Formats: sequence, C-alpha cells, structure tokens
Amino acid sequence: MRKVSLALTLILFLVISGMLLGLLFYSPLSTLLSSITSPEIQFAILLSLVTSVASTIICIAIAIPVAYALARYTFPGKRIASLVLTLPLTLPPLVAGIALLLFFGTTAWGKALDSAGFPVIFTPIGIIVAEVFVNLPYMVRIMRSTFTAINPRFEHVAKTLGCTETGAFFRVSLPMARHGLIAGTVITWSKAMGEFGAVLMLAGATTMRTETLPIALYLNISTGDVDLAIAAATILILISLVALCTVEYLDKNVNVF
Amino acid sequence: MLRIESLSITLGEFSVHDVSLEIRPDEYFIILGPTGAGKTVLLETIAGIHTPHTGRIFLDTEEITQREPRERNIGMVYQDYMLFPHLTVEENIAFGLRQKKVPVHEQHNRVLEMFNLMEIGHLKKRYPGTLSGGEQQRVALARALVLRPEVLLLDEPMSALDSRSRERMRRELLRIRRVTGTTIVQITHHFDDVFALADRIAIMREGRIVQVGETSEVFLHPADTFVAEFLGIGNIIRGRSVRQGNIARIVPTRGPAFTAASSVTGDVVVTLHAEDVILSKAPFESSARNCLQGTVTGIVSSGSTVRVILDAGFPLTALLTRESCRELDLKEGSGVYATFKATAVHVIPLNSTG
Repeated sequence: MRKVSLALTLILFLVISGMLLGLLFYSPLSTLLSSITSPEIQFAILLSLVTSVASTIICIAIAIPVAYALARYTFPGKRIASLVLTLPLTLPPLVAGIALLLFFGTTAWGKALDSAGFPVIFTPIGIIVAEVFVNLPYMVRIMRSTFTAINPRFEHVAKTLGCTETGAFFRVSLPMARHGLIAGTVITWSKAMGEFGAVLMLAGATTMRTETLPIALYLNISTGDVDLAIAAATILILISLVALCTVEYLDKNVNVF
Repeated sequence: MLRIESLSITLGEFSVHDVSLEIRPDEYFIILGPTGAGKTVLLETIAGIHTPHTGRIFLDTEEITQREPRERNIGMVYQDYMLFPHLTVEENIAFGLRQKKVPVHEQHNRVLEMFNLMEIGHLKKRYPGTLSGGEQQRVALARALVLRPEVLLLDEPMSALDSRSRERMRRELLRIRRVTGTTIVQITHHFDDVFALADRIAIMREGRIVQVGETSEVFLHPADTFVAEFLGIGNIIRGRSVRQGNIARIVPTRGPAFTAASSVTGDVVVTLHAEDVILSKAPFESSARNCLQGTVTGIVSSGSTVRVILDAGFPLTALLTRESCRELDLKEGSGVYATFKATAVHVIPLNSTG
C-alpha cells in the first residue's frame, strides 16, 4: 500500500511538472521573449492587469461588508442569501457569462447604463463586470470564514475602550482579518487574470480590444499562432505559481474553497 | 453607584429576566451562578454591548441605558482577556487612550503608571500571543484600568489560571481595588473568589437574581433549596487560623477548635462538605484528626439522603443516607460524635477589607 501510493504520488508529480515544463520550454527562449514583447501580447498583459486589478478592488469593497454581515448578524433569509451568493462558485463561467449578457443586453437597466456612457457588452468594462461576478463569491467566502473565526468580544472590548461600532471594525476586526484579506485578494486577482468563459460571453474576443491573456491564448491557438499562445500561457502559469506560493506562505489555515 | 432596575434581555439561548441590583460605590460585588444563567449577558448589557428590552441602568444619578459603551466609563475584562493580537502590550494598553484622543504626553505617563501598578513594564514590546495566562490577565486589567473606569466588570477572570496564579491574582485584584477605588463587579462560579474578594454577592439562576446579600449572610441563610444546593457546601465556619507545626489550628468564633491541613493563617472562613462528616454514637480510633461531640438539632430528608444538623458549639451539617440515619437511630436531641479529616477542611483567607 505504502509503495503503491508513494509511487502514484511521484508519477502524478512528474506528469504535472513535466507538462508545465514542456509548455514553458516548447519554443526557444529568444522566440518566447520576442512573443512576450510583441504588441499583441503587450496589449493583453496590460489589459489583463488593468481589468484584474480593477475587478479585485471592486470585489474587496463589496465582499468585506457582505462577508461581515453574513458572519456577524442574523437576519431573515440568511441561508437563502448565502446560498445565492455562493452559487456563482459552482456555476460554469459560460453560464454566468450568458446570464450577464442577457442582463446587460436586454434589460432597461443595461440600456440605461449604455446610454449613460458605460457600455458593458463587448467592451473592457464588460471584462471587469464578468470578473467581479465570477470572483466575488470566492472573496465573500474567504472573508466570511475569516470574520467568523474572530471572536466578536474583541469588538465588544474595543467599544468599552472608546471605539464606535465602525471604529471597532477598522481598528480591531479588519487588522485581525488581514491574512484572510491578503489571501483572498491574491486568489481573486489571479482568478481574474485567468478568467475566460464569462469574459468571452460578455466582452467578446476582439483582437486588441477585449483581448486579455486567456483570450489572446484562445485567439492565437485558433489561428495557429502557437508561439504567441505559449507566451500568454507562460505568463499565466507564472501568475498561478506566485499566487499559490503567496497563499501557502501566508496562512495554511485560510479556507480557500 | 450602579443601579439596575428590572432589566430584561434575551440573546439567543441566554436571557436575563427582571434583574434589579444596586451596587454601592467602591464595592466588590460578585455574581455567582451556574453556566448558562445569563451572567455574561448581564455584564455585557451593563457595559452597553446589548440594549435591554426593558429596564433601566443608572450610574450614580445619570441614566445610561441608551448610552453607547464608549460613553459609559465602564471597563470590561473577559475571561479569555481578548487582548488585540496585532498590537504589542504597550499598544494594547494605550488603545483606549488613543481612542479618547488623550494627549500623547499624558498617554505615555498613564501607560507607565499601569506598567508600575501591574508590574508588566518588562513586557511592553511583546505581543499577546507570547504571554502566559497570568501576564495576559494583568495586561487586560491594565488596558481597562488605564481609562480610570468608574466600574470594572470582570467575566470569570480567574477561570483560565492555575491555582497558584489564581491566588496571586486575587491579591492583585484586592490591591487594585484599594489603590484605584474602582467599583468591581465580577462573575464567577468559584467559591474561593467569593470569600476572598466579595463584599456582597448575588446568586443568579436561569436569568434571575434569586438572592443578594453579604457573603456570609447568603452562605449561612440560603434563600431557597436551589441556593443551598448550588452553594452545596454544608458547612461554613468563620474563625482564626493559627499555625501549629505543619498544620493549622482553626479557632471558630464560637465552639471548639479543630485542625485543618493548610498553611493559611489569620482571619479565615473554612468550608467543609457535608458528605465529609462521619457521624457515630461513640468516638472511634481513626486517621481522621477531628472528632467533635454534638447534639442533633435537626434532620432534613431529601430523596435518598438526609441532612443531619448538629450543634457542636457551632452548627455542623452531615450528609447521610437514609439507612445510616435509621441504623444510628438519630433523632433531635441525640448525642453524637462528628468525625472529619483535616484534609477535608478547606481554609480560605478572608477579604481583609470586607
């Protein structure tokens, strides 16, 4: 039993690392570098960075109060609310994308946004919207479990020591939640960098317009431009690696999934 | 003075019903009760964490029922201390002063004052996670006391400490009270705390206060069977303890002296469980150090057991089975010998100020 399971673990390790290394070393280094510095990949890197940072900030701003409410307060319909808030976790991103497309494309609300100068469909704004929608549940879950783990008595004491309710949150609970917050931010950001399905549906796949790294990978492999596709993939692998290491280093107890 | 008028609040499975209390200035007041009696909810409501459904709270002459916790001048120390883990000892203690925007220079002086009072200056750069239970306790007290609260609320402050630190903490609390003149309200289920610290006590059960009074009064005259059984002790004797070799000789305020395995001297209260007292018709030879002669003054039966109350110079209660009581043929007025071991006698130093 011991030998078999250890051997299987070793094989799995070799297969995964072999696959990834094979991808990284598929094209010679000079080709890889020139692909990464090509205008199309440069554009994709920049667009991915801007949209992922923006969507992560929006996720943090929404997830912190929502997660806090779910962790601290009881209110009617809490179970339903937490179920619906978590649903996008298990929803295929393509389905989330088409729901967003219908919501912004056919409803009065979507049209109002469009005429107000915030066109969502097939635009970079759509990328941000799709990323927020898909990633928010992760952030909410991580922050919720982080806040749940903090005894509310810390805030009670802070209030007897002169804090308002808001003050107690910002001076005590939020600093105590910082590990969860950093882990959640890194995960949300790296997922935003890699988001494909929902972005494809809502923002489309227009070269040099809504072309994030995963879209660049998809478009270039469809046209047979393997080197550019590999350049995009390489960057995505590095981002995943950095995100994973950060989370592992920060706190082994942060409950991610 | 802290006055509570018919306070009621329900929080999940814990509730407080129609509680009225008056706690005098500079008093050490202990609320005693079993787990789930609503003691913590009561304390938190006094601190202002929860708003009561009905009832009012007064501090001196002002009503504070609707006031926010930060405007009440009431400090609180929880059983698990709740030191902020992301702040050093010094920052924890200065926390309240910073919130109240006390000038930096004065902040510094008052934190120093607390370092001296609690003897924790050497810990100032440490984080709470690295401190022992006793050290955390002192930091938590310092953090509350630095704001010079009118009332200090303590939630089971000794329960997480070992018996030696507990004894030391009791002395510390008495000293704090003497030095700062703070009114202290403590909740506990530890009888030793009650005798060592309290001026008056209240017994709480299922959210209600069932008895309030001077400590000895409540122990000697429990209001009902719940209080008697909860206090569950049977025998409380006041007296003086004198050292005799390596044991203590207890001289009660009236009645014969007996011995106790203890090193405590001075004014004391001793407790002796009723089930540790053996009754016999004649004195007998045994390892037990104490054998007192007495007369039966009362027999109270409850279920399968019987409480026999003797006059041995002081009242003494023994817990017997129905069968033993019948076999010994005990009635009111019977002469009887009470035997108990010196190690069964528990000696508690008396609160010297109370």
